[in-house]
Amino acid sequence: MIIDVHTHPIFYKAISEDRDTLDYRKRQFGVFKQSPSPIESTLQEMDYNGVTRSILLPIDLTTQSGGWIVSNDDVKTIVDLAPDRFIGFASVDPYREDALEELDRAFGELGLKGLKLHPSKQKFYPNDEQLKPIYEKCLAYDKPIMFHAGMSWEPDAPSKYSHPLHFEDVAVAYPELRMCLAHFGWPWVKETVMLLLKYPNVFTDTSILHMDNALDFYKQVFKVDMGPLWIERNLNDKVMFGTNGPRFKAKRLLPALQAMDFRPKTLQKILGGNAEVFLGERRNERPWLN
Amino acid sequence: MVKLETIVIRSTAEFQMIKITEQVRDIIARSGVQNGLAAVISAHTTTGIMINEGLECVETDIEELLERLVPKDMPYAHAHFLPSYGATGSNSPSHLKSMLAGNSCMFVIQNGVMLSGDAQDVYLTEFDGPKGRKVYIQIIGE
Repeated sequence: MIIDVHTHPIFYKAISEDRDTLDYRKRQFGVFKQSPSPIESTLQEMDYNGVTRSILLPIDLTTQSGGWIVSNDDVKTIVDLAPDRFIGFASVDPYREDALEELDRAFGELGLKGLKLHPSKQKFYPNDEQLKPIYEKCLAYDKPIMFHAGMSWEPDAPSKYSHPLHFEDVAVAYPELRMCLAHFGWPWVKETVMLLLKYPNVFTDTSILHMDNALDFYKQVFKVDMGPLWIERNLNDKVMFGTNGPRFKAKRLLPALQAMDFRPKTLQKILGGNAEVFLGERRNERPWLN
Repeated sequence: MVKLETIVIRSTAEFQMIKITEQVRDIIARSGVQNGLAAVISAHTTTGIMINEGLECVETDIEELLERLVPKDMPYAHAHFLPSYGATGSNSPSHLKSMLAGNSCMFVIQNGVMLSGDAQDVYLTEFDGPKGRKVYIQIIGE
């Protein structure tokens, strides 16, 4: 079982009929030279890589630039095409006056399974008081949050908002709120590791390929920037496989991850087991407390 | 007379040799061109258009030769983030294999029929799949 916890369905044909909408997504996400492809192609690519399920992430930019990098309704449309293969997350612009109503609709009516927030792109600090009702809404629905953390390749997305230390207050205030600080918070990897180590409710994902090829970059981050056994010994319950597709590809990241010499049990957790805990599919499991 | 048709193909593996001989032959036959040339051209930078004998053993030897010539793990310059793409260039071997394969081939058309040797097959060769691919068939003649 492999779960890709981090994909942006920007080029899915079923939601790419309108050219202006697609152009907006490409500009806002900063991804080009790719074209929409049918759902069958996505499923075939997942099958080829052995990916069982993918989390689909939208980003609500209503007050920032008047649109979405894939909307909550778009995500629902795709999930309905292959409900056993896709896990749909919601997004909400925290500055929207109707943010809580939209979340109620997304979790209640649309049945989405978690929340995507992007502090850099949506321009908020995670520990801002304004975010509290949103976090409490997630707790009320028992939904995890996928936070962007660290550097973002998206234009107009200052990194200062997504420094890992800004998430610590949230982890302290809401110990039951499962949250993923994506991309290992790169380049603040050690700060991210500190949070993973200390807070049971904090996870991260492997969606980083900012330099080099996947093997070289993973070696640098997981074996040099971090102690070579830190994931194996300390973080084996906290790291989830994610690609950040369409930016980075499973066919590059998976072989690199599999070459890191993790124990089979650890690799299994990274590839899918930890995602099940993050998603709340394996309730009452707190393996990191063992 | 000039006629253009496009073949759309979905590859299913990272390396794949997909025979398109019959499709090219059919397009030429229904083009109405009696005497001229047909160009088969890939729209991509990580595929090839090859002519070779359509045997599994030949395909295996081609694949293994390309693997030897273009190893996966080398300090390729292309392995960096590309702002023009919004992604990291992780597919230098695919580009280099594409260069070795070439991206087009041509056939003579005589009396409305594609002329080819008995052993010749036309391949779209995939070096970066699975992906959706396009091949243009441009027919020029009278």
